[in-house]
Amino acid sequence: MAEEPKKIKRPRGTARLIPGKCIACGARCQAECKFDAIIMNEKGEPIIDLEKCTRCQRCLKICPADAIEIYYTPEEQKILDELAKQKAAKPTPEPEAEKEDPRLAKLKEYKGVWVFTEHTEGKPAEVSWELLGVGADLAKARNVELCSIVIGEKVEHLCAEAFAYGASKAYLVDDPVFHYYRTESYYKAFCYLIEKYKPEIVLVGATGLGRDLAGAVATNLQTGLTADCTGLSIDDKGFLLQTRPAFGGNIMATILTEFTRPQMSTVRPHVMPLPTKDNSSKGAIIREKVPLKEEDIAAKVLEIIGDEKLDSVNVAAADIIISGGRGMCNAENYKILQELADELGGVVACSRAAVEAGWMPLERQVGQTGKTVRPKIYFAVGISGAIQHLVGMQDSDTIIAINRDKQAPIFEVATFGIVGDLFQVIPAITAYVRERRKQKAGKAG
Amino acid sequence: MLIVACVKQVPDTTQVKVDPETGTLIREGVPFIMNPYDTHALEESLRLKDKYGFRVAVISMGPPSAEVTLRKTLALGADEAILLSDRVFGGADTLATSMVLTGAIKKLAEKEELAIVMCGRQTIDGDTAQVGPGIATRLGCSQLTLVDRVEEVDLKSKTLKVRRKLEGRHEVVSAPLPAMIAVLREINTPRYPSVPMRLEAEDSSIILWDNKVMQMDEATIGLKGSATQVRKIFSPERAKGEILGGEIDKPEDSARLLITRMVEKDLLSL
Amino acid sequence: MSATVIAFIIVLVLALAFFAYSCYRRFGLVLKGKPDNRFNSIGKRFWNMLFYAFGQRRVVKKPFGVNHFVLFWAFMILLISNTEFLLNGLAPDTISFSLLPDGAYFTLAFIFDIMSVLALIAVILAIIRRFTFPPPYVEAKSRDAFVILGLVAGLMIAFFGMNACEIAAGADRAGVWMPVANWVASWLPSGAAGLGTAARVFWWIHAVILLAFLDYLPYSKHMHIMTSIPNCFFKSLEKVKTQPREEFKKGNTFGVGEVESFTWKGLFDSYSCTECGRCSDACPATFTGKSLQPRLVIHDIKVNLLKNADKDGHKELPLIGGEGEGSVKEEVIWECTTCGACMEVCPVFIEHVPRIVDMRRHLVETKARFPEELLLLFENMEQRSNPWGIAPAERTKWAADIDVQPFEAGKTEYLFYVGCAGALDARNRHTTLSLAKIFDKAGISWGTLGRDEMCCGDSLRRLGNEYVFDRMAQANIKMFAEKGVKKIITQCPHCFSTLKNDYRQYGAELEVVHHTELINQLIKEGRLKLKSTPPDLGKVVYHDSCYLGRYNGIYDAPRRVITSATGSAPLEMERNRDNGFCCGAGGGRMWMEEKEGSLINVARVEEALKKQPDTVCVACPYCMTMFDDGLKDKEASDKVRVLDLAEIVANALPD
Repeated sequence: MAEEPKKIKRPRGTARLIPGKCIACGARCQAECKFDAIIMNEKGEPIIDLEKCTRCQRCLKICPADAIEIYYTPEEQKILDELAKQKAAKPTPEPEAEKEDPRLAKLKEYKGVWVFTEHTEGKPAEVSWELLGVGADLAKARNVELCSIVIGEKVEHLCAEAFAYGASKAYLVDDPVFHYYRTESYYKAFCYLIEKYKPEIVLVGATGLGRDLAGAVATNLQTGLTADCTGLSIDDKGFLLQTRPAFGGNIMATILTEFTRPQMSTVRPHVMPLPTKDNSSKGAIIREKVPLKEEDIAAKVLEIIGDEKLDSVNVAAADIIISGGRGMCNAENYKILQELADELGGVVACSRAAVEAGWMPLERQVGQTGKTVRPKIYFAVGISGAIQHLVGMQDSDTIIAINRDKQAPIFEVATFGIVGDLFQVIPAITAYVRERRKQKAGKAG
Repeated sequence: MLIVACVKQVPDTTQVKVDPETGTLIREGVPFIMNPYDTHALEESLRLKDKYGFRVAVISMGPPSAEVTLRKTLALGADEAILLSDRVFGGADTLATSMVLTGAIKKLAEKEELAIVMCGRQTIDGDTAQVGPGIATRLGCSQLTLVDRVEEVDLKSKTLKVRRKLEGRHEVVSAPLPAMIAVLREINTPRYPSVPMRLEAEDSSIILWDNKVMQMDEATIGLKGSATQVRKIFSPERAKGEILGGEIDKPEDSARLLITRMVEKDLLSL
Repeated sequence: MSATVIAFIIVLVLALAFFAYSCYRRFGLVLKGKPDNRFNSIGKRFWNMLFYAFGQRRVVKKPFGVNHFVLFWAFMILLISNTEFLLNGLAPDTISFSLLPDGAYFTLAFIFDIMSVLALIAVILAIIRRFTFPPPYVEAKSRDAFVILGLVAGLMIAFFGMNACEIAAGADRAGVWMPVANWVASWLPSGAAGLGTAARVFWWIHAVILLAFLDYLPYSKHMHIMTSIPNCFFKSLEKVKTQPREEFKKGNTFGVGEVESFTWKGLFDSYSCTECGRCSDACPATFTGKSLQPRLVIHDIKVNLLKNADKDGHKELPLIGGEGEGSVKEEVIWECTTCGACMEVCPVFIEHVPRIVDMRRHLVETKARFPEELLLLFENMEQRSNPWGIAPAERTKWAADIDVQPFEAGKTEYLFYVGCAGALDARNRHTTLSLAKIFDKAGISWGTLGRDEMCCGDSLRRLGNEYVFDRMAQANIKMFAEKGVKKIITQCPHCFSTLKNDYRQYGAELEVVHHTELINQLIKEGRLKLKSTPPDLGKVVYHDSCYLGRYNGIYDAPRRVITSATGSAPLEMERNRDNGFCCGAGGGRMWMEEKEGSLINVARVEEALKKQPDTVCVACPYCMTMFDDGLKDKEASDKVRVLDLAEIVANALPD
């Protein structure tokens, strides 16, 4: 004879922090807690006041790092299992259809994926075309149009190029006021277009210019903007999932903009593959006139100084550094580094030994007593990697070490290492970069 | 006239390590520091103070423990340090952060004419570079990011001239005051605090502004005022060091392999 | 009373009054300095004075020092004669050695005669030396030197002239007992008229020169005649191996930015300097052509003190950064490696290094002005407690492949204080691993602090960043106390000296031992057995670390260990032991560029290479780096390797 199960009180459990998981994101859990049950400690981690905590689990849901859990003692767990069993015995009611958040309804009118075409007085930045590639995927997933935004003076040719890279429509704002990029004129034009045409997704290259512009646009429109994304996709509910590194690249975060539109991202250059160019593709150009006059714009560009005109090379500001050490043997040999630097758009630097030997000037020295650099790519050529040098460059995104001695400490920090004779390896790299450049030019032409 | 320097206290992310087994961040013992970019923003503010006689107020939004960082700004020569701290400010994205900072700047500007808002280019924990532009837009003032030199400030005509570093070139831009300047790290070398200044700063009080003082609409700040939501956090694939080729006699192959890898890893586009 | 006596009284009173006034002015300035108790342990101080001042211990260390020894003692003895001379001038009939009985009078006359001729010879030699084989500094031919030498020579000549005339006139019964004066007299016409007058003239010449000398003294570098003896009395009772603490209170001044902020002893030092130049001769900065010359630093302090003497409050000549004599250039202050070679050789125990650090403190703490490369060091030290700014978690990386116990009072006897270089520098990690191996072999109970270890702060203290050092020292001492640390082994002589000597100022009672000493002891006690046929390291030359050797007197232990581990005693470089030459990295120089002159480490490597060694043995991580770099610069790193003593011993351990 089956015994009627007793009514058991559901155990409450204990809300607690899972050690090591909190990333001190900035007190989201505390902000979310309706019951003042969370205070933050010195390290930025939550301390949960169990007296006040109602186990509402809001903090669990908001925590991006899944660092909070409800813990049940083994006894409690037993009861829970029992309850689950009882529940399973009963027929489960139809799950209620998930009610849509009313805030989402008004966002429905936003449609289309937009890509901002970055250019310097008409010369396009490659990242704009890279974004058309990923933009096409997003547009397909959302079943909408992929559009290019072209703002500038005498930039209509960029529309054609955008079509060749996959855009089906281009919004063109062409006026002398947009000759130079200025935040004020560009963001106003961009916002004007967005407010008029209501795109759902807006992508901008995460370059200096792009980040300058996107920040202003998103703030003006009071919408979400995710910086420097390295991954974009659409989730099952149609949201744009934006993945980006944070915390000095130690973690990745997936971020979405739920209740405001457009969903805006800046996207890191070189990350998205460049789509194949199809010069036969055509699209529609929508010309727009933005009511902006030169006298409305406060900032004036007074002078443009090309990098080649700068009196000195600032090693600390370079994105790509080719650095040579004692292994270079003499000043003359730095030429081969300069050739590679020219090819990659980088600058030549050196270790202390090279300065002491008189091969290179002091301002090019990287290390403890020289410059601290954080380039995207750092080539350490003929540098053994003594600690005094390492501390000046170890925060570089990518380190490439070329050294004859495979025991050299530089290999411990290198992303890529080549054990070999630098006098053969460096010219070989330069030659291969040139070869690939030529191939690509051939393909594009 | 007033310069408001915005600083943030951040964990020293270069000291953060990831547990290779669990993939979680090891934050144990990682100290909080002034965001390195902001040290340059503060320094530039102080240099302009020395040159033109501005008053420098430092604002920072953060937990009460950020007081340490603000005290450091006083030791370096800031005239006033204000901590914007309230639990309703917590969980903010860049949109909500710039809202609170702008609120504080406006409040300061009520008492004294605002000349410049000085920010670092970005923070080392968030890396967004969005808060500066956010403030500029909200204030409706000139937005000058990527500044690597402040050429001059003309107090008579209330304009300034800065040099901005863009891809492949620099541009010199003039703009009227007030303006928001976001500086690059190469703009200057921060000064070092003298001992008398440190001792002075130890005894100075940090002004605390919570939302009772700020009176911000709670829907526009903190978690509620944030337009973005973090859905999840995970550890990236760690690129382990890789020795390419290895055969000393075939440098061409190693070179090709290197470039191929770099292109694969999106380091180069060729 | 005769007219002569009256004339002499007037001259004497005027001269003495002027001398007294000069002394009052000069020594009054010294009293403006900050307090410093140098009156304790009077007995020991008295002994120091006898030994070093009257014994001229350090003076005679250099070959030509004997000349000074002779001059000094001649001067001391003639002081008696000259006192008698002056009193005799006042009361010719009542005060005179000639009134003594014959035996006593003749003895004195003989001694004074001999001393005078010795003094004269010494002076002549000194003059000849200055022209033919001058000491290695320009000021050897200064006007001051020749004025003084001329006065002394004149004094002696007048003395002989006076005595010879009297002997020739038959007026001195001690004639035959004064061989030199007697010999001079033999050239004079015996009993001639006018000899008495001539004697009076010489007497007056002697008197005038003597008083002129006296009055000139306070204005010349030869003031040391008055100050060096007390300076030896006031010398630091212990070797100078640290700097005093500062109190960090609002309103205090930090470091020394104007001359009166030195202690009175610091000012007195400047009066005691004879500008013999031995300090500069020993200085690695001077040797490599840098602006720093310790002698000039001390000289500038003196000149600054005197030049600013009349100015109340307003100092026209800044102590630091002004132009010309009397002002120390900033770069000079930064060029010091604090190696202590200057203090080691100074015959009168002038304390150069603390003065330089005082001025560094002023620049860093008050002015926040220092060579730009130090900014990174200071930030790194403050934020990450190591000079490179490496994440503290990396401190345990050296032990990734071995089993290391954490220090736990009661369970482990020694704390192995690995040090920043030992834990973080790839090359020096090998030394650390060697030590771990040695400790285990010898059965030592040891543990480390792991990632909790903090920097000792040595570089900060030497660089004058006392404020941050102070905080680091207190944090370390607190941690040692909390963990119950009593005995510490260090790998780095800088940690060693800092924990041992500097931390004592904070009341830390720590037994600190450097690995060289410990290994030596372990071998001696038989706890560490080495292979009977050690690996062949070829010719080994040992380089003394300043902070091990000069600062802490550890010279023999490392040499004995090398002998045990290699089977033969190490070769010695030309400059070794207390005369050892710095590698160039001490005093925070490790973190700075050498902008002037040649490189110190290369100079030292060149010296080592003269011995054609196969191995250079060091006992300090800084020396290791400097030698490694220097050998590479000299393209000798293929032939000569640098090893730490610990590595040599670890290699010689039986398997």
